[in-house]
Amino acid sequence: MHIVVTIKQVVDPNTPSVLLKIGKDGVSLELPVGMSQIMNGYDANAVEAALALKDKHGGTVTVLSVGDETSKNCLRRAIGMGADRGVHIAGPTGLACDSAVIAKLLGAAVRKLGFVDLVLCGRQASDTDAAQVPFLLAGELDLPVISPVKNIQGMDDDSAIVDRIGEGCTQRLQVKLPALLGISNEINKPRPAPLKGVMLAKKAEIPTWTHSDLGIEAPQPAMTLRRLYIEPPVETCAELIAAESARAAGRALADRLRQEGLI
Amino acid sequence: MPKVLVIGAISEGDLTGTSLEAVTAALELAEAMGAEVFGGLIGDECGRAAATFATAGLAEVFVADHARHAPYVAEFHVAAAQAIVRRCQPDVILAPSTGETSEWVPILSARLKAAMASACTRVGFEGGHLVAKRPVCGGAVQGEYVLNGALRIATLAPATYEATMLSEPCPISPVELPDVQARVKVIEQLNDQEGSGPRLRTARTVVSGGLGIGSRENWSLIEDAAAALGAAVGATRAVVELGWVPHAQQVGFSGQKIRPELYLAIGISGAVHHMAGLAGAKTIVAINKDPEASIFRTAHFGVVGDAKEVVPAFVTRVKELRAQQA
Ligand SMILES: Cc1cc2nc3c(=O)[nH]c(=O)nc-3n(C[C@H](O)[C@H](O)[C@H](O)COP(=O)(O)OP(=O)(O)OC[C@H]3O[C@@H](n4cnc5c(N)ncnc54)[C@H](O)[C@@H]3O)c2cc1C
Ligand SMILES: Nc1ncnc2c1ncn2[C@@H]1O[C@H](COP(=O)(O)O)[C@@H](O)[C@H]1O
Repeated sequence: MHIVVTIKQVVDPNTPSVLLKIGKDGVSLELPVGMSQIMNGYDANAVEAALALKDKHGGTVTVLSVGDETSKNCLRRAIGMGADRGVHIAGPTGLACDSAVIAKLLGAAVRKLGFVDLVLCGRQASDTDAAQVPFLLAGELDLPVISPVKNIQGMDDDSAIVDRIGEGCTQRLQVKLPALLGISNEINKPRPAPLKGVMLAKKAEIPTWTHSDLGIEAPQPAMTLRRLYIEPPVETCAELIAAESARAAGRALADRLRQEGLI
Repeated sequence: MPKVLVIGAISEGDLTGTSLEAVTAALELAEAMGAEVFGGLIGDECGRAAATFATAGLAEVFVADHARHAPYVAEFHVAAAQAIVRRCQPDVILAPSTGETSEWVPILSARLKAAMASACTRVGFEGGHLVAKRPVCGGAVQGEYVLNGALRIATLAPATYEATMLSEPCPISPVELPDVQARVKVIEQLNDQEGSGPRLRTARTVVSGGLGIGSRENWSLIEDAAAALGAAVGATRAVVELGWVPHAQQVGFSGQKIRPELYLAIGISGAVHHMAGLAGAKTIVAINKDPEASIFRTAHFGVVGDAKEVVPAFVTRVKELRAQQA
C-alpha cells in the first residue's frame, strides 16, 4: 500500500496575536524573532494516520510539501516519525499559497510518484484556513474525497470505511480506493519522533522538484491576495468582581449577573 | 445581464437563516455588478424551503429535489449544483458556509475550474473584480482576495450579513438531474448526542469549560453550573481532545459558532480559535485564576480565582436567587 501525505509548513497557530505582524509587502506574515515555522497541526494528524495504517497493513508512506527550502524541516519531522521518504516541491509559502497552484503542483507530484492507494491531507491549513487544497487535489487526480475525517474505521484492498464530521452528526462512509481524505485532529495524537528516527531524518535525502521536473507549466493562481491586515481587537475592559475570598466572589458574581437581568 | 446564484441550505426541511443572509450579500453584489439574483436549492423534499426561498427577492429559484440528497453525499450535491449552474449560467455563486458546503462547494469549484474563497465575511465588486474578505490564522488576521476568472464562488461565514426581507414569491423551477454514480456511500448516520439540556446552538445561556477545570472528575462543576442556569454545556478543543466531552460540544473556529445572550467561560484562556465561535455572544463572563489570561480582554464580567472554589459558591447563590424568584 502506498500512502501519500501532504504537509504544509505554517506559522505556529499558538503565536499570541500581539506578536503577529504583517510584512512590508502587505501580503505576508512576519515571523516573530526566534520563532520557526511548524508542521500544520492537522497534517501531523494525517502523518500519524498514515503511519498507523502502515503499522497495520504494511506499505510505504511518502510525504510532500510545497514551499521554500525551509519546508524540508517539516518533511524531516514526518520522516523522523516514520515516513519512508519526502519530496520537497518548489513553490509559494504561507498565505501566498493559492489553493489552485498548490493542488496543481501536488497533483503533478503524486502522478510522478506513480501508483497511490490513499492520499491524506490535513482538513485545512491553520494559516490560510481555506480548506480547499484537498478538494482541488482530488479534482486533479480524479479521486473521491471525504473531509473532515475523524476516524478511519477499516480498510481493505479496494475500499475504506471512515467517520466524517457532519452537520450535527457523524457519517460513517464507505469510499472506493484510491481516495483522498481530509484529516481532522479528533482522529489521533501524533507520535513523537523516536531518537533513532530523528537521526535517520537528519541524514535523509530530500529531493526538490520544480514544476518543470513535474512536466507542467508554472500554475497560475485562481485568487490574488491583495492585502492582509489586523483589526484592532474590541477590548471590553471586563468588570472584575473582587471579594474577600474566592467563594465570596462566586456569590457576588451571581448577584451582579442577577442585577444585570442576565440570570 | 450578469447573474448571481445563491445556493441555499436546508435544515430539517426549512431554509436556513444563513441562506437569507447570503441573499443579502448577493443583492448587494448584484447592485454593484448590475446583475440579477437567482436561487438554487438542493435537497430531498425541499418544497417548504423552496417556498420560503421564492419570497426572498430572487428572480427565479431552481430546485434539485431528489431522495438521493438525504442523507447528504457530496458527489450527488455536486451533480445537482452542476445541473443548476447549467440552467442558470451564473457569473458568481454564493452559498452559506456549512458543514456540507465546506465539502461539496470546493469540489464544485474544482469541477468548474472556478476561483473560490471560503467562509468570507464580506464580498464586494470593485473595478470589475470580485473581492472577498475572509479571516485567516484563526481570525487573528484578515485577508482581502481578488478572485480571477469568469465564474467565481464564495461561501459566507454565518452572522456577518443581516437576513434579507421576504417579499412576493418568484417562480420555482425544478431541475433535471443526471444519473451519477457516487464513489462514496453512507453506511450509517448518527446524530450527535447533546445530553438532555438545551442545545448549544440555540441556547440563551452557555456554560463552557476549558483545561483550567483540571480533570474529568471536576467537569461536574461545569455541568452543575449549566443545570442551575438552565444552560447548554460547551467546551474548548483542548477539553474535547482529552475526551472529557464529545466533539459536538466544542465551541470555536472548528466547532460550534454560537450566539447566546450569556456565555460563561470557566478555566478558558481565550485563544483566538476559541473566541472565533463567540462573535455572536452578547455578554461574556470569565472565571480564570490568571489575571493576565486574554479572555479578560474580551469578557464583560470576570472573577480572578480558582474555578474549584468560585464555581460551587456561584452555583449555590444562583440556586438561592432562583428559589427566591419562584
Ligand atoms: C486550526 C485550529 C483550530 C482550533 N479550533 C478550536 C476550536 O474550535 N475551539 C477551541 O476551543 N479551540 C480551538 N483550537 C485550540 C485553541 O487554539 C486553544 O489551544 C484552546 O482553545 C485552548 O483551550 P483552553 O482554554 O481550554 O486551554 P488553555 O489555553 O490551556 O487555558 C486554560 C486556562 O485555564 C486557566 N486555569 C488553570 N487552572 C485554573 C483554575 N484552577 N481555575 C480557573 N482557571 C484556571 C489558565 O489560567 C488558562 O487560562 C484550535 C487550534 C487550531 C490550531
Ligand atoms: N504548500 C503546501 N504543501 C503541501 N500541502 C499543502 C500545502 N498547502 C496546503 N496543503 C495541504 O492541504 C491542506 C489544506 O490546506 P488549505 O486548503 O490551504 O486549508 C493542508 O492541511 C495540507 O495537507
